[in-house]
Formats: sequence, C-alpha cells, structure tokens
Amino acid sequence: MKILFKVTARLLAEVKDQLSRPHPFAAERVGFLLCRVGLLEGGGVAILSHSLHEVADEYYLDDPSVGAMMGPDAIRKALQASYNQQASMFHVHMHSHDGRPRFSHIDERETAKFVPDFWNVQPDLPHGAIVLSEDSACGKCWIPGLEAPVDISQFSVVGIPTRKL
Amino acid sequence: MKEVDRAGLNLDRQSFLGKTSAPILDNTQVAIVGLGGGGSHIAQQLGHLGVGEFVLIDPDIVEDTNLNRLVGATQQDVTKGSAKTSVAARVIVSVNPRARICVETTQWQKCGIALRSCDVIFGCVDSIGEREQLETVARRYLIPYIDIGMDVHRMNGEFFIGGQVALSVPEGPCLRCMGIIDDRALELEAQQYGAAGSRPQVVWPNGLLASLAVGSFVQLMTPWHTRLDLPVLVEFDGNAQTVSRSNKLLYLEGRPCPHFASLSSLGDPFWSARAVRKHVATTIS
Repeated sequence: MKILFKVTARLLAEVKDQLSRPHPFAAERVGFLLCRVGLLEGGGVAILSHSLHEVADEYYLDDPSVGAMMGPDAIRKALQASYNQQASMFHVHMHSHDGRPRFSHIDERETAKFVPDFWNVQPDLPHGAIVLSEDSACGKCWIPGLEAPVDISQFSVVGIPTRKL
Repeated sequence: MKEVDRAGLNLDRQSFLGKTSAPILDNTQVAIVGLGGGGSHIAQQLGHLGVGEFVLIDPDIVEDTNLNRLVGATQQDVTKGSAKTSVAARVIVSVNPRARICVETTQWQKCGIALRSCDVIFGCVDSIGEREQLETVARRYLIPYIDIGMDVHRMNGEFFIGGQVALSVPEGPCLRCMGIIDDRALELEAQQYGAAGSRPQVVWPNGLLASLAVGSFVQLMTPWHTRLDLPVLVEFDGNAQTVSRSNKLLYLEGRPCPHFASLSSLGDPFWSARAVRKHVATTIS
C-alpha cells in the first residue's frame, strides 16, 4: 500500500527548528504534526501535514533511560488537538544524522502504545509516527481496521524547490 | 488507462541540471490537464526532459481547427478522430519510450483521484472557473500547480496577445493572490460575458508560455541551481515580444496566502477509511 507523506518546506523547517531546541532535562524534543488525509488511486493514502503541535517543556517526564518521555498531559493535549481539529496526528522526533533514519526499539515500543489511542478521538483517521534525520525521514502509519502499521513509502517536501526525501 | 515501458533516453546533454536530475525527473509524476495548444507543447518538452510518469487528461478529440497549434497532431488524427491525450502520449513515447503514461480521455473532474499522487500539475485549461477548481485540488493535496493562460484581445481594431505563467506552490501566493482569479471574473464568465465563438489561439505564444512553464518546473524539481526567488508570476506581451516578472506581487512579499490556510482546506473533504480497507481486502483475497 502506498502511503505518501507530504510536508511544506516551511513547516519542515519549523519542525526541525523546534525539535532542535534544547530542553531543560530531556535529551531530545518531540511533537505532533496535525494532518489531513486523502485517498490515492489504488487504495493508497496521502498524509498532508498542516501544522506542528508542540509538546510543552513541563509535559516531558524526567527519564534518563530514553531521549524523551512524554507525560500523560502531553498525550492528553495531543488527543484534544486531534479531536478539536479533526486531525490525523503524527508523532515526530528527530535523529541528528544524515541518511535514512530508523525507529529505535524504544521508538517502536512507545509509538505502538500511544498512537492507537488517537482512534479514541478520531476513529476513522490514520495516525502515526515519523522520524526525521537531517536530510531524510521514515515513518509508520496506523490505518483504522488494519492490525499492523504500514511503512510510509514516500516523503515529499513541497516548496521551492520540491523534493523527495 | 494505458501504460508504456520500453527502452531508454540519453540525457547526457542536460547533465548540467545536476547529477541527480535524471533519476529525479524519471521518478517524477506530472499531470497535464488540457492537451491543446499549451498542454501539447508541455507534454512534448517534458518527454524530451525525461520525465518518467505522466497523467494526461483531456476529453477532446483532434479537430481540423486544432492543427494550427496542436503539437504532434496530423491530418490523419483529424480524420481518425484521435484523442488529444493519445497524440500527446504518442509524442512523449516517441522520444522517451520508458515513460509511464496514464491517459484519461474524460473531464478531469471525473478522474480527479489520478491527480492526487502527482508531484506537479500543469493546468492548461481555458476557463477561470476550471483554473480555480484545479488549483483547489492541487492545494488540497499539497501539489505545486503551474498554470498557463493566453488571450487575444481586440482593441481599437487591433489584436493584442497576452499571457502569463503562474506557479502556485502550497503556502505561497495562489491564483487569487496573483489577481488571475477573482469573484467578478468568475461571475462574468458564468454569465458568458464577452464575444461568443471559439477563442483565438496561435502556436508561438502557446509554445513560449509552455517553455516558461517547463522552465519553472525544472527549477522546482531539479538541483540545477540554488536560486530560490523563482518568479511565481511571469507575464508575456505578445505584441512587444517581452516576458517579464509580474509586479503584481510586490505588495504581497512575505505574506502567506490566506485563501488555503486552514486545516480543512487539505485532504479529502469526506474521508472514509473504508475505501482503504476495501482495497486491502481485495488485494489479500
């Protein structure tokens, strides 16, 4: 199944800026992209990102065993944003290297826990998680009614220039 | 829908566009909506450039009045009643046999889903209303939209040729920001205001505007150079033989487009995951 993730160049730059800011104690920052979705020919899905939902400093838990651990308020606020704006939500964080990033075991474990929670507020929308690197990205998309998440097959950065990651 | 895939195209002479330009272009899917005077030129040039995937949409067949400007069309196409999309596909495949081409001989609104996965949409449609609809689709699915328009006006007994190429990139100025679309123009068009009969069209302004549009496309997609102030609106004066960057946007510089800013202007207006599940179920069975 083709899953196409699109982000404007301006929004991607904003996301990277926000995620690169140092946090008082967490080693990295996380956020959520509010998205809308569209059906593609052949049953694929286009994920169209619109804006960044930031996780406030105080919503991180001090857990040195991971890069960043969100507290329950972080999830609650994100759920609220998804509900209020009828948005498909994609968790986003960044690995500071070039080349295609991968989900770590911790990323996989944690996203599998909280991403399906968004179906409590938007049951018919896909939700997911993406990992950015300096010049690439990877991601997973949870489609309602499908048991396992599907890998995002293509990332497009739309702007001048337009490019595929 | 037809697909074609055969041998390759040697692009050595355009390698200055960047060492990754050939695979980028081969991996780019372009829709051309309207394969008449403007669209046929664009199809031809994109074929030469090595663009890999095309969605060609036009409901019309070739008529004898098209032959003054429709690139690739022949008297035989008039006799046979060939579709304009077939002529464009033939032109593309004749230079790039590896091109993957989807042909839709219908109104684009009936096959709009085919546009959604495209990387760029070229709009070569006549009416302002259709332009607005097409740009709206492009914005919904975060697709850069390149619009070309040409007109011949009669004033004081003389004919004047004008035209423009507009590059509408999500979050940048849209056709309304550029003044190409406004409510009054839509209203007048709806009332079929103006001279009746077919619109005057000639080959060379179409070719020039198409070339400018393809130039914008190449700058948008390839690492040719790093200039980021690509003009979003270029105007052509066919009588003076001049092309210039429009000054219409001077006052909008740095201001985001307000017309497609909301979250609800993205994606399917009526999304349902049912269609995805149905497709997965069909694939598995």
